[in-house]
This record gives sequence, C-alpha cells and structure tokens, in this order.
Amino acid sequence: MKFKDGIKEKNIIVKCGADKFLPFAITFGLYVILFGTVSPGGGFQGGVIVASAAIMIYLGYGFHIVSRALRSETLRVGEALGASLYVFLGLLGIIGGANFCRNIFFDNGEVGDLISAGTITYMSYAVGFKVLTGVGFLLLLLLGILAPDPEPAKPAATETKEQIEVKETLNETLHTEQKEKEAVS
Amino acid sequence: MMIVNYIASFVLIALGLYTVCTKKNLIKIVLGMGLIDYGVNLLIVSFGFNEGGTAPIYQLSDLLNGVASGYFVDPVPQALTLTSIVIGACVEAMALSLVIMIYRKYRSVNADEVRRLRG
Amino acid sequence: MNIQNFPVLAVMLLFLSAFLVEIFGSKIAAIRNFITIVAVTVSAALIFALIPAVLIKGEVISYWMGNWEPVAGYAIGIGYEVDALSLFFALLVVCTFWLSAVYSISYMKDDHHLGHYYTLFLMLSGSVLGLVLTGDIFNMFVMIEIMTFASVALTAFRNGTEGALEGAFKYLVIGSIGSSLNLAGIALLYAECHTLNMAQLSAILSGGLSPTTVMAFALIVAGFGVKSYMVPFHTPAADSYAVAPTAASMVFSGMVNKAGVYGMIRMVYIVFRAMDASALQMLLVIFGTLTMFVGVTMALAQHEFKRLLAYHSISQIGYVIMAVGLGSTLGLTGGLFHAMNHTLFKGLLFLTAGAVLKQAGTTNLDALGGLSKRMPRTTLYFLAGAAAISGIPPFNGFASKWIIYQAAYTKAVESGNFLYVIVTVAGLIVSVMTLASFIKVTQAVFFGQLREEHAHVQEPPFLMRLPMFLMALLCSAAGLFYPLVNRYLLHPAVDATVNVTNYIDKMMGDGYAAAAGVTNIPVQEVQFSFWDPLLWLVLFVVVFVAAAVVIMAGKGSRGRVLEEGAVADPKYATFFSGEQELYSQVGGSDLFWGFKKNWKAYYRVMDKLHSGIVTDYTNMAVIAVGVIVIVMFIFLI
Repeated sequence: MKFKDGIKEKNIIVKCGADKFLPFAITFGLYVILFGTVSPGGGFQGGVIVASAAIMIYLGYGFHIVSRALRSETLRVGEALGASLYVFLGLLGIIGGANFCRNIFFDNGEVGDLISAGTITYMSYAVGFKVLTGVGFLLLLLLGILAPDPEPAKPAATETKEQIEVKETLNETLHTEQKEKEAVS
Repeated sequence: MMIVNYIASFVLIALGLYTVCTKKNLIKIVLGMGLIDYGVNLLIVSFGFNEGGTAPIYQLSDLLNGVASGYFVDPVPQALTLTSIVIGACVEAMALSLVIMIYRKYRSVNADEVRRLRG
Repeated sequence: MNIQNFPVLAVMLLFLSAFLVEIFGSKIAAIRNFITIVAVTVSAALIFALIPAVLIKGEVISYWMGNWEPVAGYAIGIGYEVDALSLFFALLVVCTFWLSAVYSISYMKDDHHLGHYYTLFLMLSGSVLGLVLTGDIFNMFVMIEIMTFASVALTAFRNGTEGALEGAFKYLVIGSIGSSLNLAGIALLYAECHTLNMAQLSAILSGGLSPTTVMAFALIVAGFGVKSYMVPFHTPAADSYAVAPTAASMVFSGMVNKAGVYGMIRMVYIVFRAMDASALQMLLVIFGTLTMFVGVTMALAQHEFKRLLAYHSISQIGYVIMAVGLGSTLGLTGGLFHAMNHTLFKGLLFLTAGAVLKQAGTTNLDALGGLSKRMPRTTLYFLAGAAAISGIPPFNGFASKWIIYQAAYTKAVESGNFLYVIVTVAGLIVSVMTLASFIKVTQAVFFGQLREEHAHVQEPPFLMRLPMFLMALLCSAAGLFYPLVNRYLLHPAVDATVNVTNYIDKMMGDGYAAAAGVTNIPVQEVQFSFWDPLLWLVLFVVVFVAAAVVIMAGKGSRGRVLEEGAVADPKYATFFSGEQELYSQVGGSDLFWGFKKNWKAYYRVMDKLHSGIVTDYTNMAVIAVGVIVIVMFIFLI
C-alpha cells in the first residue's frame, strides 16, 4: 500500500474500476431522469443511480476524497430545494384556477417528445434532483460513521546502530545535568 | 401461474415475521423488517397482472378506436409498489443508523443487553 | 381561492415550510421561529375557516387532485374529503400542534440542531393533518409512514437522554410491522375491489364481506391498532413518550394516537360498515377494557413522571376504543368526546412535566418534592389537568366518562350480556385508580418538602406558561359548556360517521349510494336530561368553601418546623423513632404500597412481559395479530 499525501491509496483494480464506471453511472442516471416521460424510469430511479456515484468514489479513493468532493451542506440544501420546487409546481395548479397538481400546460408537444407532458416532466426533474442530493447526503453520512482509514504507520526502525548510541549518550548527559541541578538547588 | 407469486410472497412475510420475533441480534431484526416489506411489495405487484396483457402505455385515441388490443396489465399496483419500495428503503436506512448509534452507546447489538428501559 | 382548496393548502403549507426551515433556518433562530409560527398559524386559520361550511351547514367538501374526476363510476384520482368526523379530528390536531409550537420555541432553546427539530415537527404535523383529511386509502398509508418516521426521529432527538435511541428503535420495529400489515390489507382490498377511494369502497363493500375482504379487514384493524397503542402493541408508547423532548411527547400523546383511533373509526364504521356484527363489537370492547386496565395498573408502579403519564395515556385510549366498540350512537359520542378531552388534559399534563423537567432538571419521582412553593402557577395548571383526567366535576373528564359509563350500561341492559356490566364496573375502577395514581404524583412532585437542590427553581417563562393556561381554560370550558360542545362538534361528527350516504354521493356523484343499497339512519341528539353541570358546579364551590374554612380555622395547630435542639427532646422520640432526620418527605412511591404488595403476583407477571427486550414485544404483537385474524375469520364469514 502506497502513501500519497498521507492518505492511504486503495487497491489499483478497485480504483481503476471506479474511474471507469463513475462517468457512466452519472450519465446513465441523468439520462433516466431526463427521459422519464418517454422511457421506463423517471425521477426516483434515475436519482438513485446518480447517487451511487458517492459509493463508487468511496470504494476507489477512500473517505477523505469523498468528503472533499461532495460537500454535505450543499447536498442538504439541495434536497430541500428540490422538495420545495415539487410543492411549488403542484401549487401552480391552484394558481391556474384548477385543483392541486393539475397539469396546466399539458398540450405543448407531441407524444414521444422529450418535453411533452406539461407539469409532470418538471415535477419528475424536481424529484430526480431531490433524490440525487438526498440519497447522496444519506450515503455520505453513513460512510462517515464507518471506521476511518487507519493512520499511516510510522516507518520501521531504520536508524543505524551508531545513531542509536549517539541518542542514548545524549539522553544520559541530559539526565546527569538535571540531577546535578537538583542537587545544587 | 400467479399462485407461485402469492405463495412466495406469503413465505417471505412469514420468514420476516419469524426473524423479527426470534433473533436476538439487532441487525438481523432490521433484515427481518426488510423481508416483510419485500414480501408485501411482491404481493402488490402480483395483484396487477392480467394474463396475456401488454404494458399499459396507450393513447386515449387508440383505446377508443379499438386499434390497440385494449387488454393491458393494471398500472396502479406498479405505482403503489414504487412508493412502497421507497418507504422500505427509508425505514431500513433509519433503522440501521439507529443500530449504529446504539452500538456506540451500549457497546453491544444483542437485544438482551439493550434494555435500559423496562417495566 | 374558494373554500374547496383549503384542506390541501393547509397540509401542503406545512410540508413546504418544513423544507424552507431546512434551507434557511439551520443557523438563525429568528427565521426558524418565524417560519414555524407563520406556518402553523395560517394552517390553523385555514382549518378553522372550514367550520361554518362543514360543521354548521353540514356540507362535505370533496376535492379531486389534478381534477381527475371519476370515469364511468370508477374513481381514478386521489380524493380529499372533509366531512364532520374529519373536521372534528382536524380541529384537535391543529390546536395541538399550534400550542406545541409555541411551547417548543421556549422549551427547546438550549438544544442543538434545532433546524432538524423544527423540520421534523412540521413534517409530523403536516402528515397527521393529511391523514385525517384524506379520502384515499393509500394516501392514508403514506401519511402514516411519514408520521412514523418523524416520530421515531423526534424520539431519538436528544441522543444523550438515557434510553432515547433504544426507545426509538423499538418504536420503529413495532410500528413498521404494523404498517406493513396495513399495506398487505390495503393490497388485498385493492385486489378485490379495484379501487382505492374510500367512498367507493364503502359503496362496494356494503353488499357483504367475502373471505378476501375479511382478511383485509383484520389486517387493517391490526395495523391501526398498532398505531393507536391497544394493549399488546402498547409497549413502544411507554418508552417513546418518556424519552422524547416534552414538546414532542405532547404532540405524540395528543395527535399521533388519535390518528390511530381516527383510522379505526373510519375503517370500521365507514369503509367496511361492519359495526353491526356483535363479534366485532365484543373484540373491540375486550381489547379496550384490557388496555384500560393494564395501562393504569402499570402506571401505579412507575418511578418516572413522563413514563407514568405515558401509561395513563394508553389507559385513556382504552376508554375511547371501548366506547367506540360499543356500536351505539351514545357510545360513539362518548368515545369522540373522550378523545377530544384526552388531547386537552393529557397535553396539559405533559406540558407541566416539561416545565418541571426544564426548571428542576429531573423527572424522577423519588428525587422531587415540594415544588408548589416555588412554581405555584404550574401547580395550579397541573391540578386542573389531574382533576380532569380523574373525572372530577366540573372538568371535561367527568362529562365524557359519564357518557361512556352510561353507554356501556345501556348496552348491558339492551343486549342482556353480562360482559358489558363487567366492562362498566371496570371503567369505574380504572377511574378510581387513575385518581389514586395522580394523588401519588401530586404528593411526590408538588406537595411535601422542598429539597435543597431545588430551592432556586423559578416559574417557567411566559411562552411556556401560555399554552398551559390556554389548555386549562379549554378543559374547564369543555367541562362546563358541554351541551354546546355536543351540539356543534359531537353531533355532526356522530351523524357523519353513522350515515355515509352524503359521504359517498359527494365524491362519486348523486345516486351512487342509493344504487349500492346504502340507507340512512336518523341520529337523535344525545340528551343530558338527568344530570346538570351547573348543579355540580354549585356543589363543588360549596365543598371548596367549606374545606377552605376548615383549613384556615385549624392553622394554628398544624405541623411546624422544629428548632435545632428540640429534636433531642424525648417527647418527640415517638415521631422520629430515635432517628434525627430533618428531611422527611412522604415520597410518592410510599403511597399505595399496600396495593402493590397485595397484587405482587400480577406485577411479577407484568414485569416479565415488559422486559425491555424487543423480541418479547414483537412476539406479543404477532400473537395479537393472529388472534384478531382468527376471531374475524370465525365470526365474520
């Protein structure tokens, strides 16, 4: 195990695997969120896939890098923002004169297009963003509770015998000096 | 053939209840709670199946004109199951974080030793 | 903005403000308090604005989310339906969380992570309000789950309290089992009826119950029983009320178990309409009586203030379940009235317990004493609450308990079954034991001798005294003016529970109920002819004046504190048995020791059942669910 800036580096295979899978996970997750109205998936499913990025960074790099890459304050505020956006989109129905969660611009595109379902599309994006940040924050908290990586061990005794002897004689002289001072005072 | 699904779901619920009632390790109790949730999810999804039906993605004009075969599986239990899966995941996350904090405080995850509130 | 939008707006405003507190309020207290108070006040105002339409004129507000109206007689959208029963419980919920929010601004001032506390509190309030206002059975399940999460997190909020995490874990395990069984019941119901709307279910199921729906009924009743803490499911309640912060405990005992009772009434009376079956009545009455009895006997043996109040809470809910299970309109009136009174007086008692905990630092009954000398106003509010729960006129507990006894005895006379006579007698005995338990608490905490370490406690601050004062006022008002309460609150609620034609027609279209064979039963208003509260008030005042005169007259020869050297005088030796202690408080645990000694065998069994091990609690819960399922199958097919 090598040491790099005092942080233990993980196994090379796991690190390479995390490197290669990470952009794929994020892109695929964002695809599932964005195309929620035309293909299977949607907000929650895509959000969980993107949040698995946190676990991948942890597996490849360890907890210190993860906590530097994803800041928990931002994630926490982002989750609440996503949820408020969802409720606000629902309240648009009441502002528009109908009931709550009414799809008020539902005929603005053809079936099969990306932006075609009115309020439902944006609600799905809001849910995806909320789940992304929320599950990421949850994973970050749980990973933080796990046992931290052990400190890098001190280098083994590489001092030569002469250096040890010099140290011992120095210690002896120090001790004798202290005793003389005490004897005097 | 859905009878297999129903039997499997009831077996899962029964095993989950057995685990919650007899095992002493707190983590096993959390796993039992999860098993009950999975069994109930399987039950809900199985209720929506219609033999020979297709996926429920149609336009209203197709259904009214009779262009499509018009026989599809029920989409409502699928929505119920999604919600239930989310709820199950959240319950397990909360329970496991409570178990971690209990371990830090009580130094044990055995149910016989985590009993300061009694009587 | 017409009045139809108000229920949804009230619920969504609470959820939105929970998220806003999370974004803005985690560091600055002023923003947090402002958002909370504005949200709960506006929500309360919206619900109060529904009173003229729903309670006085008797309309039913029906609301489909997203304007998805029923198609070809089948409901396809999520519906919110507010009838008099829902509005009755919604008023209780709104009052409870308004008072608790005002209390917790001052009570929780010294805690950390208060942003999380207010977020959880607002989510809990929003979910219980959504539960009582909704008309869709799966929406009710989701609201129950949100309520469970928020309650568990609030229970474990103060990590340092002894047993907080453990209580939260037990609550989560048993609550989750109940919710999963509830969901299984809902799934079975959907498989049989292909709809999730409660009004349409009520019309479909009025034709009779098939085996699938009987299983669904049993599982749903068991699920709501777990939420309302009937007897074998009551164990997490005692733990979690004791370790939660007191503002949250008041909300739990005031709102969360009322949600379970509301769900049970809604399912049994309105959706399944099975209240005529005498087997179901006997099941609910037996469970209710067992709950009453176990709750109060366990409470007499407790050494901790909030745990004792929690057991009393369980016992009073037993009264409500027993009254609801009687199946008559008098019983239903008594049950609903007692639910309302329980929220008021139990909330008041928990608030005084919180004041004692905050000022004196402990709730151990063996370590307190004589606090009435330093906190007189709190003592006065506590005495009002204790008198209300014990059923002393002119407070509200007396009125509702009297109606319950009357209903149980009328049922005994009508049906000729001896069981109901036993139930009435049990109710009276439990009320006496409640009074005994509160005498013990009053002596242990407020009267007697003041300890030196508590010599400097003060009255709690104004924001903590205001909710206590308002609740004491409401308790006495509900007790004195109960005919008004009956006419405006209880009679419409009972009428809405027993007659579902209006409920079904407003949601699904006129004539739907008649086509399904549902008929109306006229409900007469309950008459209080043979006892009058004003006479009781006059009697109470006369007795009070007489007692005051007697106490004042004998003041000269009452006990006085001896001087230092007088203790050695041999004429006082008989009083001190040779020992010379200056502090001799008759502790609360020393009262009623004879009762506890004579019932030693019973208490040994109860201690073994309440062992604190979570697997014992789940065993009891699963066995009870099995009993409910088997009884339902034998008698209802």
